[in-house]
Parts: sequence; structure tokens; C-alpha cells
Amino acid sequence: MAANTLPQGRKINLPKINWQAVSRWATFVGVIVFILWLGDRIGDNPRNYAVVTINGILVGGIYAIIAVGIVMINKASGVFNFAHGAMMLLTAWFFLSFYNTDNFNLIVVIGFVAVTVGLFITMSDWRDIRNPRSLITGAVAGAIVVFLMMLSGDDFRLIRALVGAMTMATLMGLCIERFAIRPLMGQPVFTMILMTLALDRIFVGLTNFFFPSIDSAIPLFNNLSNLGIPRNYEIDVINVIPEIDRALRIPSASVIVFLLAVLAFVAFILFFQYTNVGLSMRATAENQVLAQSVGLRVRSILAIAWVAAALLALTAGVLFGGRNSLGPSMPTLALIVFPAVLLGGIESIGGAFVGGIVIGLGQTWGDQLFQSEAGTQLVPYVILMIVLIFKPDGLFGQKRIERI
Amino acid sequence: MSANIRPSGVFNTTYAQDLMLDRTWANRLSAWGFVLVLLALPMLSNDGLLGINIIPSLWISVIAKIAIFAIAVQGLNIIMGYTGQISLGHAAFMAVGAYTAGVLVRELGFTFWTAIPVTMLFTGFIGLLFGLPSLRVKGFYLAMATLAAQNIIIWVITYPLASVTGGANAITLEAHPVPFFGSTATKLGMYYIIIPFAVLSFLVARNLVRTRTGRAFISIRDNDLAAELLGINVFTYKLQAFFISSMYAGLAGALFAFNKQSIQTTDFSLALSIELLAMLVIGGAGFSLGPLFGTAFILIVNQVVVPDIQPVLTNFFSGIFTFVPSVQISTAFPPLMFGLLLALFLVLLPRGIAYQWEILKISWKIRPYSY
Repeated sequence: MAANTLPQGRKINLPKINWQAVSRWATFVGVIVFILWLGDRIGDNPRNYAVVTINGILVGGIYAIIAVGIVMINKASGVFNFAHGAMMLLTAWFFLSFYNTDNFNLIVVIGFVAVTVGLFITMSDWRDIRNPRSLITGAVAGAIVVFLMMLSGDDFRLIRALVGAMTMATLMGLCIERFAIRPLMGQPVFTMILMTLALDRIFVGLTNFFFPSIDSAIPLFNNLSNLGIPRNYEIDVINVIPEIDRALRIPSASVIVFLLAVLAFVAFILFFQYTNVGLSMRATAENQVLAQSVGLRVRSILAIAWVAAALLALTAGVLFGGRNSLGPSMPTLALIVFPAVLLGGIESIGGAFVGGIVIGLGQTWGDQLFQSEAGTQLVPYVILMIVLIFKPDGLFGQKRIERI
Repeated sequence: MSANIRPSGVFNTTYAQDLMLDRTWANRLSAWGFVLVLLALPMLSNDGLLGINIIPSLWISVIAKIAIFAIAVQGLNIIMGYTGQISLGHAAFMAVGAYTAGVLVRELGFTFWTAIPVTMLFTGFIGLLFGLPSLRVKGFYLAMATLAAQNIIIWVITYPLASVTGGANAITLEAHPVPFFGSTATKLGMYYIIIPFAVLSFLVARNLVRTRTGRAFISIRDNDLAAELLGINVFTYKLQAFFISSMYAGLAGALFAFNKQSIQTTDFSLALSIELLAMLVIGGAGFSLGPLFGTAFILIVNQVVVPDIQPVLTNFFSGIFTFVPSVQISTAFPPLMFGLLLALFLVLLPRGIAYQWEILKISWKIRPYSY
């Protein structure tokens, strides 16, 4: 009762600062200042600005397909795959060598295919090798694959390269899961990260072993003119932006690569959302123990996830190799993608796409604005630091990082 | 993963014994004996004053290199083995140390002995800066933040600071030798500077774990929530760990620069960061002797074993893979062997060599019985 008798007017009301609103306005002002500054830097040459933007988006498509491979492995097994770049390089080299040569030793090819089929059949349990149905299916599939890989002549080079590289990628994914990841079940995350770093070194070593360490392009898009596609798309934008006097020129290979990347991305999303394997993969990602107790074979799902990651690495490697070239610098490309993954949110596959495009745009804009290698080398990591400090769970990720 | 596994039958009966660094006389004897042997080795080599040529001088340079990298890995051990925070940017902190020392000596007229403390402090503050994200993230996310540190630091050294650091080109320290006992240090003199630094830093690390700070580090590693409930300011201690670890890296970088007499950004790439991590894991994270074992193992394999067996293996594999040029085979070996070694250790001995060493000591103590 005594408290009620106190004079109410004596209470001092300190003005409460709404920090959220303040930060929102600060962001607005920052963005506007940045855009004004940007306009000042590029105002005299809007043509470059448009080209840079388009290039950034086109590069971002490839980053997105790399990022999906990393997100996929993280979703399925909680491992962050630092070996993705080396996997891209090695599988793309396999593609190129199958594309260029056709006289392979039959016994070696049969051996590789047999090992792949054997690992695939026994991916849950080695006793599955005694199951006659899977054995016969595997033998038939293996025979078809061997036949396709042994096709000679230039007419079949694309089929040969696709089948051969996919077989090698499958073998790689299965081997990684069986010999590197499975023995480490239950170890801390740190051990897993180190294992992927070790795998990275091993794959780089294997690439150095079998393939020359010079930049070599995959000649996928050399014969575009035969298909009636011009070498460069010329966009006439004089009516839209009057300052531009010439047409914008965009290499058609980049556009095709971007479209293929989007296609692969959509196919992957469909696989992940609408197939049984995709469903069990999502279940495993959610809770491994629960997935096991409802009868899912967690080990084979993990193996399939690694195979899918290797196939995505193959796609990204071939697309990038066809657009630019294959070379020893490719593994660093996958490191640049980690900021994209974190920006989009580590659990979100759609976020990986957005993150990839943002990183691609940031790189090309940075190159343009600072007139140096700042874009390619610095901007992704600056974005990474900003994301980690201000929004650690990314744009579309689940908010589950505990505050320490 | 306690660092103080003690043989059964050894008890502390007095407080003085409790405070001892080396509990048994065998420990003490082997530690001082090891240091004495290290200090005596160059005397037996070709460069020594006695003129006896028993030890090849390659060994001396390899031991100096092991000592330098052991200091860096000990810093990594403090941040990772004791505090449990992953760092993928340790080589960049070494670069900060090397370039700070180089610029201090070349541009500002410092000597080696005055540059070392300034370098360590400066590297510590840079480490503090990149430890800031540990306020909000941990585990893999922190690894990404330190990966960003690696790239940002190397970029800053290469482009904006190119006027003093020489950019992508190497800068040389040959005009600024290290003053040492009235004259300047030769290759041999550098050995006698490096080894005491390494011994000292190992002693500091060993003692650090026994202080309140060190115990706070270990409690953060084991369970950060419980540590916070015990009244430990987790963020402050994490930043301290980053500071100390970066100081170690800075010292190692400065010693590296003065030992090699030149500094180059390519020496401190991401590959070196990964190699330092591998050294720590192979040696044993969380053991004060782990960095020594790991560094010695990796560097001896890299510098002594690989050059010896490389021609043999190259011949062997060119016999099998006739379509591969032998140049490619020989360049493939270093990454391949490094990766295979790391993978094997992770699968077979995830606790590292130091753990096996402790087990060995115990089983020797309780011979002929086993548990």
C-alpha cells in the first residue's frame, strides 16, 4: 500500500533507445551513401557497370552449383567439405581425358567399373554382396557402363566423357565415404574438418600425378556455331540507356553455362524434394538416430550423399572448365564459395543459390571499383566476416547457433 | 585428454611436490638432457668450433626449422588444444610477425632484440582483432572467420602495404644481421638464438596451463556453458587465448624471417596453415609436448625422408604408369604423402603421438605388469 502513495510525478522516465530502429536506419543510410559513392565512381561509364553486373550473375551461377555440393554434404552428415575444390578439379580432368582419348585398356576400365559397382552394392553392409538380385542388376548396369565407356570415335565423345566421368565421380564419392568418413563416425567436428583437408591434399596429389599442371580448357563450347549459336550475344541497349554507344557483348558460353547450372540446380532441388532418397536424406540430416530407428539405412544414405556431392563437383568442374579453364587454381575457387554458403545460411539450398550470385556480383563489382584484384581475393572474405559478426545464421538459415 | 597422466605409484606428499613442473627425477633428467644435446649438436657438425664432422649440417638447419615451427604450433596448441577454438589462419599471423619484424628493422632502425617484443605485441593485437567473431560463433563458423583472416591479412600485405612490404616480391634482411655477443650472428649463431626461444616458449606454455588462465582455457574447451556458470568470463578468456596464440605466431614468424634472411608472402599461404594444423593433430592437441612431436615428425618426413625416397618411388611408379611423365609423379608426392599421413593419423591415432608417448612412459614405469 505504501508504494501506491508515492507521488507518481516524481518518476523519471529515461528515453528508451530503440536500437533495432537505429540500426535499421543506419543500414539504410549506409546503403544510400554506398550507392551514391558507387554512382560517382562509375557514372562516366555505365556500359562497364552493366557488363560487370551481368558477368557477376553469370559467375554466380557456377558458385551456386559449387555451394549446393557443400551444403548437401553438410545437411546429410554435418561435415564441411574443404575437399570440394580438389574433387571438382580431379573429376573434371577425368571428363577431359575421356573426352579427348578413346583407346582405354579394357581390363582397367572393367576393373574400375567392377570396384564401383561392388562398393555401390555393399554400401550399407558387405553381406549385401550375397544378394543375387542386386548382383545381377549391378552386373548388367556395369556392362552397359563399360560398353558406353569403350565407345570409340569422335561422334560419341560426349557420351563417353559423361559416362566415364560420372563413373569415376561415383567411385570417388563411395571411396570417400567408406574409407575416410565412416571410420570417423562419432568423432568431433574438428576431426572431420581435418579429414576433408587431408582428402583435399590427396586429391591434389592425385591430380598432379595423372594430369599436367597447366591450364587447359575443356573444348565443350567450341562448336557452338555449328548449332547456330553465335560466339557472343550482342545486346543493343541504346534505346534503354542512351549513354551507351556500343552494344553489350556477352560470351554465349557463359550464358549456356549459367543456364546449365540453373538446370542442374533445379534438378537437384527436385531430387531432394520429391524422391524417396531425397526424403530419407532430409530425414537423416534432421536426426540420424531417429532416422535409423524408423528403418532408414543411414550409412547408405550418407554414401549416396557423398556420391551426389561428387557428381555436383563434376558438374561444377566441367562447367567452369568449359567457361574458363581447368588448372591448379581451381581448388581455391571452392574456398571462395564458403562465404556464399554462410551468407545463404548453411542449411538452406535455395540460400546457397542467392549467396553464390551475391558473391559473384561482389567479386566483379569489387574488381571494377578498386581496379585491382580486390574483388576476386578480398570481397568474399569481407562479406564472410560481416555475415559472421552480424548475422551468423545467414539469410535463410535456421536460427540455431547458440550465443556464447 | 589430460596432459598430466602420471604413472601409478607416484603421489604428491608435500605442497612443494605439487608445485613441481617435472614430478619425477627421470622427467627432469630427460628434459635437461634433451636441451643439452640440442645445444651440443652443432658443435659436432661441420660448422662447429671443434671441427668434428659427425652430424650433417642439414640436420642443424632442420632442427632450427623444427624449433621455429614448434613455437608456432605451440601457439596453435594454446588456442586449439587448450581453448578448443579452431584456427585456419595461423600462417597469416606468422606473416604478420615476419613482416612487422622486417619493417621495424628495415625502415625504423630497430635491432633484432628490440623488434622481437614489439612484433609479438603487435601480432597479439592483430590476433585479438580476428578473435572478435568468437564472441558470436564457434566451431566451424570460427574456422571460417580465421580463414577470412588468412586471406584478408595476406591481401593487405600484398596490395595496400606494398610500399613497405614489397608486395608480392620478397624483401631481404641480409643488410640487417642479428647482433649476437658483440658481433653478428652466423647460421650457427641463429641456431643458438632460436633454441633458447623455443625452450622458453615451451616452458611458458607448460606453466600457463597450470595458472588460473590456463585452467579457464581448458574449462572453456571442455564445456563453455559450464565454464560460464562457474564464473569464467568466456569471451575475455577466448580473446586472451587468441592474444597469446598470436604472440607465439608472431615470434615464430620473426624468427623465421631472420633465419631465412628474406620474407615472402608465398611462405605463409593457406597450405602452411593447414600444415600447422596437421602438425598439431599428429603431435597431439592438448599436450604440451605435442607440438614438438608433430613438428618434428612432419618436417623430418618433408625435409629428410621425402627427398631420399622420391627418386625410388618415382622410378617405381613410372614403371607401372608408363603413360605418365615422371616429372608429374615427383611433384605429386609431397601433397599425396602429407594427405595420406594426416588421414592415417586421424583414423588410427586421433590423439596423436604425445598421447602414445605418455602411454609408453606409464607402461615403462609399471613394467613388467600391465593394466
